[in-house]
Amino acid sequence: MARLDPYSPTPAARAGRVFMIVAPFVMGLVCVLLSFVPFGRIFGSPLTPAFALMAIYYWAIVRPEMFPPFAVFAVGLLFDLLSGGIIGLWAFVYVVTYAVVVSQRVLVVNAPFTVFWFGFLIVATFAGALSWIVVSVFHGMPVPPFSLVQHMVLTVAIFPIFAMIFGRIQTRVLPGS
Amino acid sequence: MDPNRTALPFREFSHRISLVFMLTLAAALLLLGRAETYVFDQARQVVTDMAAPLLEVASRPVAAARRVIERTDEYAYVFDENERLRAENARLLEWKERALNLEARVARYEALLNVQIDPSINYISGRAVSDAGGPFVDTVLVNVGRESGAKSGQAVIDTDGLVGRIVSTGPKASRVLLLTDLNSRVPVVIEPAHYKAVLAGDNTDWPRLEYLTNISAISPGDRVVTSGDGGLIPPGLPVGLVIQTSDGNLRVQTFADRGRLDFVRVLQYEFPSRVERQDPPEVLIGPPVSSGSDAAAVAAPASTVTE
Repeated sequence: MARLDPYSPTPAARAGRVFMIVAPFVMGLVCVLLSFVPFGRIFGSPLTPAFALMAIYYWAIVRPEMFPPFAVFAVGLLFDLLSGGIIGLWAFVYVVTYAVVVSQRVLVVNAPFTVFWFGFLIVATFAGALSWIVVSVFHGMPVPPFSLVQHMVLTVAIFPIFAMIFGRIQTRVLPGS
Repeated sequence: MDPNRTALPFREFSHRISLVFMLTLAAALLLLGRAETYVFDQARQVVTDMAAPLLEVASRPVAAARRVIERTDEYAYVFDENERLRAENARLLEWKERALNLEARVARYEALLNVQIDPSINYISGRAVSDAGGPFVDTVLVNVGRESGAKSGQAVIDTDGLVGRIVSTGPKASRVLLLTDLNSRVPVVIEPAHYKAVLAGDNTDWPRLEYLTNISAISPGDRVVTSGDGGLIPPGLPVGLVIQTSDGNLRVQTFADRGRLDFVRVLQYEFPSRVERQDPPEVLIGPPVSSGSDAAAVAAPASTVTE
């Protein structure tokens, strides 16, 4: 009787497994790069939404174990290095926001999309307010908040599109979804 | 006993520990970032140089899409635009005549006064490949770096006027601090009154005018140009127009539109720090003089200089 060899995954299967594990983190990094692509210039506007915040919120609610705190920190740090602003600002804001979202995720994890979206509105307001306070303290004066408000309104407005994209990736690529 | 039942609390515990550690690290980074600027500047430059080619590739379709939209707009208003351009052309022809006369007159005066002419300024052309990315920073990356001759402090202009200045350079890319950024300060002159001020960005679309000695002499619509004070930015670059906000403050509407930045020029201006003594010329040679009266006006002082 022929003996069966023990199962060992092929290199392609291993690579696929690694990709599935790091996919949310890679999406976070891609979102940071997207934030610097001048999409607004198509319409003659300098506004660009906070794509990275959308990724952090989505994965912190849906699969927090696949988007751990160090990944959030790395996403924020990359944003800081690319933006030319205060070093550590977005790393700090994103990690604090992530901590708040993870602690409250049971409220929205199985809720309808409108609740999920409303949760993002609250999170974007929190992240915006926290970043405004930190920047104002660093500059020693209250920074005009108008561009921040525009930035966050745009981010909340287009969140459903990105939630849909993340949802597709989650159901088609990630295991156990 | 099911091993998963013991793994779950451990995983949650390690997640919490990791979260606390990252929170502490982020807070420490925020404080360290102010003290240890050199290390972070270097890290920033490395990351910027790595990201610049990606952003350049990604910004090309964006620029193409914008051109399509602009072209569609142009087709929709082609007749109106034609009429407007004809009227503008007629106006500009009148201005051209006046400008040529003034140019000849200025050249004669400069020859009479033995004025040191500003050296011509070389420039490097490049593209703005990124957006600011955040609500608190107004900087863009341009695909011109040290290898092309860009240096920190050099002025950046587009077809409309001054855009900002370079604040850091890498081998392939540089970061430009726009006029609207909170950290931007540019010495300017308000024409025609010729009052000096400092143009200070404050994260809004309209930078403030600071250290203006005589506000009453300035009115909305006055032209703002660079003063050249400090020697970093050449004098006379168009910046914008003075506007008055609803609360009565004077601000500047910049000519350069940060929402439409595309091709830019980096000016390689060197402040003439060593000015050598020049003796008056033996014979004054001005540009060709068209009218007889002007020639007579020039001839009289010329004879006094050569005596």
